[in-house]
Amino acid sequence: MTAGPDRPDATAGLAALRRTLPADTERAAHAYAIEDLEPRIAFAPDDRAEVAVLLRTAAEHALTVVPQASRTALALGAPLEAYDVALDLRGLHRTMEYVPDDLTVTVEAGKPLRDLQQELAEHGQYLSVDPPPDDQVSVGGLLATARGGAWRGHLPSARDLVLGIEVAQPSGALVKSGGRVVKNVTGYDLHRLHTGALGAFGVILDATFKVAPLPVATRTLAAAATSISEAASVARRAWDASLSTRAITILAPEPAGHVGLPSAPTVLVELAGSEAAVDRSTRDLAAFASWSDGPAQGWAYLRRLHGDQAGTVLRIGAPPSSIATMLEAARAAGALAWGHLAAGCVIAYADGMEAHAITALRQAAERARGYLQVEAAPVPIRRQVAPGGPGDPALVAALRDQFDPSRILNRGRWPEEGRP
Amino acid sequence: MATGSPGTLVRDLQGALGAAHVLHLPEDLIVYEYDATIERALPDVVVFPATTAEVAACVRIALDHDVPVVPRGSGTGLSGGAVPVRGGVLVVLTRMNRILEVDATDRVAVVQPGVINLALQEAAAPLGLTYAPDPSSQRVCTIGGNIANNSGGPHTLAHGSTVNHVLALEVVLPDARVVRLGSRVPDAPGVDLRGLLVGSEGTLGIVTEATLRLVRQQPAVRTLLAIFESVEDASNAVSETIRRGVIPVAMEMLDQEIIRIVEPRIRAGYPMDAGAALLIEVEGVAEGVALDAAVVEAACHAAGAREVRSAEEASERERLWEGRKAAIGAIGAAAPAFYLLDGVVPRTKLPEVMAQVMELSRAAGFRCANVFHAGDGNLHPNIMFDPAEPRATERVLELGEAIMRVCVDAGGAITGEHGVGLEKRSYMEWVFTPADLAAQHAVRDAFGSTDRFNPCKVLPGGHGCASGHMKEISPHLVEGAYV
Ligand SMILES: Cc1cc2nc3c(=O)[nH]c(=O)nc-3n(C[C@H](O)[C@H](O)[C@H](O)COP(=O)(O)OP(=O)(O)OC[C@H]3O[C@@H](n4cnc5c(N)ncnc54)[C@H](O)[C@@H]3O)c2cc1C
Repeated sequence: MTAGPDRPDATAGLAALRRTLPADTERAAHAYAIEDLEPRIAFAPDDRAEVAVLLRTAAEHALTVVPQASRTALALGAPLEAYDVALDLRGLHRTMEYVPDDLTVTVEAGKPLRDLQQELAEHGQYLSVDPPPDDQVSVGGLLATARGGAWRGHLPSARDLVLGIEVAQPSGALVKSGGRVVKNVTGYDLHRLHTGALGAFGVILDATFKVAPLPVATRTLAAAATSISEAASVARRAWDASLSTRAITILAPEPAGHVGLPSAPTVLVELAGSEAAVDRSTRDLAAFASWSDGPAQGWAYLRRLHGDQAGTVLRIGAPPSSIATMLEAARAAGALAWGHLAAGCVIAYADGMEAHAITALRQAAERARGYLQVEAAPVPIRRQVAPGGPGDPALVAALRDQFDPSRILNRGRWPEEGRP
Repeated sequence: MATGSPGTLVRDLQGALGAAHVLHLPEDLIVYEYDATIERALPDVVVFPATTAEVAACVRIALDHDVPVVPRGSGTGLSGGAVPVRGGVLVVLTRMNRILEVDATDRVAVVQPGVINLALQEAAAPLGLTYAPDPSSQRVCTIGGNIANNSGGPHTLAHGSTVNHVLALEVVLPDARVVRLGSRVPDAPGVDLRGLLVGSEGTLGIVTEATLRLVRQQPAVRTLLAIFESVEDASNAVSETIRRGVIPVAMEMLDQEIIRIVEPRIRAGYPMDAGAALLIEVEGVAEGVALDAAVVEAACHAAGAREVRSAEEASERERLWEGRKAAIGAIGAAAPAFYLLDGVVPRTKLPEVMAQVMELSRAAGFRCANVFHAGDGNLHPNIMFDPAEPRATERVLELGEAIMRVCVDAGGAITGEHGVGLEKRSYMEWVFTPADLAAQHAVRDAFGSTDRFNPCKVLPGGHGCASGHMKEISPHLVEGAYV
């Protein structure tokens, strides 16, 4: 579907956008289709003032805008309801300031995480995040989706690492919050509001992060178990031993097979730190299970599967005490499932899953005092099943009334009651 | 007052809470006119609700009577956040002081807002767990106050501030609605209203319950005391350590002035002739700790340390920390009054910023003692003065303002952990543009809290608020607080 029969006339708005933005920033719209929608026009500005002008002009003409960069998480949230303008942010990819001794870096939103990690690695540092599907995720997308992988729960996540941001609001205003210092309580933390909001309140232009020294040594170890609950108790002991762990993940037999291990319930541990700390941790682990060198590329495989937009991917929040139960439940629903113990999170991947099965898993998660977020699923399923709570709906709506009163940004991603 | 007289306000509140939990006589109110800082203002009524429903009832009654609501914990805040500048109902949360749950399996605690920070640490300790945020006021301050101010402490360097440890909140909003934000499971998807509420200084709602993350105590801990000839050398040692790839859990600076005040009183073992000292802590698995400690030691020597002592025994470590914790209290005993400042700069800017702080203090004719979170670049100059001297208070405030300017000019901010409150509203324009501030006002408007909910705090302007400059400081240390 492109322009539907009842799609309102936007000629004036499109002309206004073409007038206000440099001609060389326009792109072919068809390259920006999202699911069954194609935008009417696309721009790839390389300057933040152009982003602001684009938003203001779009708002004036009631055109809806979908900001994007690496296009790795477009199936998050409910399906879009309207899509007039594609805003490609890949042109904003500069590193604005990096002071290794301060462990802080300020980068523009369109920069791929991979490029940032490369720059940081030259100084022996990194941003301690492992979002799905891999490091092609843009910095802005990392924040807007607030997704993480196996490191979460062991290392601070994107939400914990962001020190400040600048956003462009639909009004055209450029707004900063936070700063470039590692500890700061000056004003409201708008950067936290934007983190995980899927672009509900503005377009992230740049962000300052706290970075960390790269670990000198890393090691992946695997231990097979006879049941998921046994694997969970091995994982638990590993967690309680307070070792230099960066990940403790419980794999159901199916994903274990996929990463090249025997098809059995398995605990996959990543150790990271100094050589001495990693060696000591390896010895301590041996006290309660038999470990073999695990496939280091297993982590990348799990990340990719988690980030696969073509499948059905569920992120099930479950407190550590109910990880094993939720893992079993996801497996029983036909999913490839693995669970990150410390983060309290099970990832379930399936080629497809019925809406009622997703709803049943959500109810189970909520009984365990967790949650379920649909991270990818075909459009019809995402129309039937809410993607996952946006917080208190009345407050979210009140905030959107302030920042995006005509709902031009990502319209539909957060369904609102009583609004078309 | 729009509707009803003060008499009916008090009666309505008494009806909701019982007369015993509502103070309204002038002699009872006077205790609640200040926090640990500054400006004073009398509330019309002070209430002590015991449940979330009672908090909501108080907020509803204040709304009906069109008077302000100001939340308050222990009143140890250092920016005037709990001062009821425009009167109204002061909601004191100290009766809601139950630890509802400590779950070692999920590493979670659920507490009421009036729980004292240290009480939670003590409840978690037998399970091998701890609540990491440790403001120096932890013997008296409440978790609700910590959340409202996003408080930090010596261990923020590795563990982060309060916001990194809050999983979920129950909040009474300015319209008296009760909402739950966040989840027992970390990093819940969706709009992070939890993260917005933390640090909002009681202007967006009253926290009535908090679900907090507990962390496991580390198997090995080592505390180092590095002695330097100057603050500059010690500051360089901070950057040098980080350059070598080690981030200690704490890096606390004590300058010569503070060492000379603290040591005779506490006998922590700090050399009286030191130009500055860094108290450094590393933790983790034993082998890692030994290695990290060696790196720290080498970095300190490279930066010119005269001596680096190492303590592994709990008793030795506690003694070293005792001096740090008692430092601010000791200043109180050493000077008639002092003004405790809170600013933050990129840590590589510490040497030049500290030089400017000392120069400004000298030029203004005041002694300035520094004890602060050097690892985070979070300064706490303490300006000592005698309020009896002519214009002393005014001059101290001018000096404080000049020091804040230095922080901002160095790329820093006007508060690292104590909050903007009443004290620093007028400095907000130094760091934020009108558009930035408009966005913050928009948040307040969305919460419906603009003029009534803890008015005249955080943001400049506001109906019926003074300019925001402090007129008077009376550094008033809370009984039993150690810093
Ligand atoms: C000696 C001393 C040492 C200190 N050391 C540190 C330190 O190391 N690190 C640090 O960060 N701070 C420190 N502080 C500052 C202060 O202790 C903290 O800001 C503390 O978190 C305040 O807690 P409180 O219960 O006293 O809150 P109060 O002072 O009563 O209130 C502080 C703010 O929180 C709001 N508030 C209180 N309870 C609630 C609630 N339930 N819901 C919503 N809002 C609420 C109030 O309106 C106010 O704005 C120190 C203070 C003193 C006096």
